[in-house]
Amino acid sequence: MNSKTGIVTWALVRDTFREAFARKIFWGFFGCSTALILFFIFIMKIDVVEGAVATVSLFGNTTRGHDVQRLVRQAHAGIAAFLYTAGMFLAVFASAGLIPTVFEPGRIELLLSKPVERYHILLGRYLGNVLVIAANVFYLVLGVWIIFGVKTAVWTPGFLWSSVIIVFVFSVLLTVVLLIAVVWESAVVAMMVAFAIMFMSPILAQQSLLERLLTSEWSRNTIRVLYYALPKIFDLGRLARALVLGDPVIDWMPVWSSALFGLVTLSGSLYAFGRRDY
Amino acid sequence: MTCAVETKGLIKIFRNRWTGKEVRAVDGISLNVEHGSTFGLLGPNGAGKTTFVKLLLSCAHPTAGRAMIFGRDSRESEARRPAGYLPENHRFPTYMTGHGMLDFYGALSGMDATALRKRIPELLATVGLAEWGAVRLGKYSKGMLQRVGLAQALMHAPSLLVLDEPTDGVDPIGRRQIRDILQSLEQQGVTIFLNSHLLAEVELFCRDVAIIHRGKVALEGRVKDLTAGSGYRVEAESVPERLQKELRTKAKSVAERNGHIEFLFGSRDEANQALDLLRAGGCAIETMARTSSTLEDVFVKTVNEQ
Ligand SMILES: Nc1ncnc2c1ncn2[C@@H]1O[C@H](COP(=O)(O)OP(=O)(O)OP(=O)(O)O)[C@@H](O)[C@H]1O
Ligand SMILES: [Mg+2]
Repeated sequence: MNSKTGIVTWALVRDTFREAFARKIFWGFFGCSTALILFFIFIMKIDVVEGAVATVSLFGNTTRGHDVQRLVRQAHAGIAAFLYTAGMFLAVFASAGLIPTVFEPGRIELLLSKPVERYHILLGRYLGNVLVIAANVFYLVLGVWIIFGVKTAVWTPGFLWSSVIIVFVFSVLLTVVLLIAVVWESAVVAMMVAFAIMFMSPILAQQSLLERLLTSEWSRNTIRVLYYALPKIFDLGRLARALVLGDPVIDWMPVWSSALFGLVTLSGSLYAFGRRDY
Repeated sequence: MTCAVETKGLIKIFRNRWTGKEVRAVDGISLNVEHGSTFGLLGPNGAGKTTFVKLLLSCAHPTAGRAMIFGRDSRESEARRPAGYLPENHRFPTYMTGHGMLDFYGALSGMDATALRKRIPELLATVGLAEWGAVRLGKYSKGMLQRVGLAQALMHAPSLLVLDEPTDGVDPIGRRQIRDILQSLEQQGVTIFLNSHLLAEVELFCRDVAIIHRGKVALEGRVKDLTAGSGYRVEAESVPERLQKELRTKAKSVAERNGHIEFLFGSRDEANQALDLLRAGGCAIETMARTSSTLEDVFVKTVNEQ
């Protein structure tokens, strides 16, 4: 029985990978990541002298005399910030197309007729999608981290942790895509809602300021509820940055509260999927 | 003995989310399909055949009643393990190759890698797609998709095969091949449940049928019994005038076409007596047969009566 669960999960994950790579966008991701890695391997030249960078040259422009540790961390932070914003955007965009295809009539019936529980099908697809994105993020982050490490001997682990945060935030956003895909079967709506959550997050993160500006108790409560209920993408971004730069992390609340949001949304989609007729 | 398929008072009502309008797609169907039978579910368009099959395989949830596969409620995932299914209007993912598709759906049925490696080439050959395993389904023709779909349904050697319009879009030779495959499965004791519009095909292949109309069973039974007529037909040549007159009084009907005379008798005894008279009168007998109606006649009659 257990081995059967494994076989089925593995088949669902592998199928998600196959479908992802049948779409050019995922090849595009890997292509860009590889280009960035090659860029750092061949273009960036760093000479380290006794713990300080003697010269860094990019395209022949040379700068001198930096604190090597600080410089590497800044570079890490830059890449992480890019992945966290543009990368996340693209990942959600690509996944919103990948999830609802499974529920297409003519395809879902066959999956449902197999001796597999409905929740297993949905979780397998979800896991596959998270792993597709995780593979890409880890490939890029690990690649860049190793290149910087080899060239500068700085091996601060913060950058690696930030990639975990990135995948975590993506997996939370994907639960939203999943729920909407199950209930409305629409890639466009799924994408719009996920993006709305992303865009609202920096605004809601200013809730203490907003609360001072808003006059009615009712609107203050609304902001507060929205802030605590929705995933705290902006706060998690700041947390990731702190991890990269080696600053102390004061508050882990954004992590567990966002995880809670993800769990609730995921349970909602499992429930809805279990009850639907196809 | 437990039946391969058993439904009790199965009802499915689709309710429109906005207008609240109800469609009783399946309206209290109780059916038994014996183990090892070849069963045809017939009915006009929109009768509820596909919905019935979807309820049976738990793609949709019944509003009331139960559907069982080998005695287990089909909503349990394990109950569906012995079933293979080829849906109507399937849209297999086009990025999969024929081989990849069989691999994926086989794995979902719990087959491990060793079993898959052995089974896939075998089945591709059976359905006549041996050279197409590495080609993407996007490049398959309609009939080829139907065949690979059938192979998919057979992957885990099911003991119940549920096929919704399996020969849809398949050319006559392909249809023949599919029928041969099904016939050999029948000999292995596989129960075959078929939804089809092609009455001639069902008549050739199925042992039992049910005709459903507007979600209800209108008629069910053995094909043999349903198509059997009650009369006997005797056809003879050069029947003398005198004998014709005598037999006309006994026959239910008489018809004359290109020199042959066809008498219809109500019972076997009457037909046999007529035969004696005709032979004594020196007539050549062309045919003596029990009358039968085609499944199509039965179908049209049943649906129109409702
Ligand atoms: N998801 C659904 N929502 C609403 N109505 C539905 C749904 N599926 C089927 N129906 C309705 O249920 C009835 C039965 O449909 P079904 O597809 O079972 O017919 P069928 O016998 O398979 O027809 P065909 O021979 O054309 O394949 C039809 O009136 C159809 O409109
Ligand atoms: Mg149908």
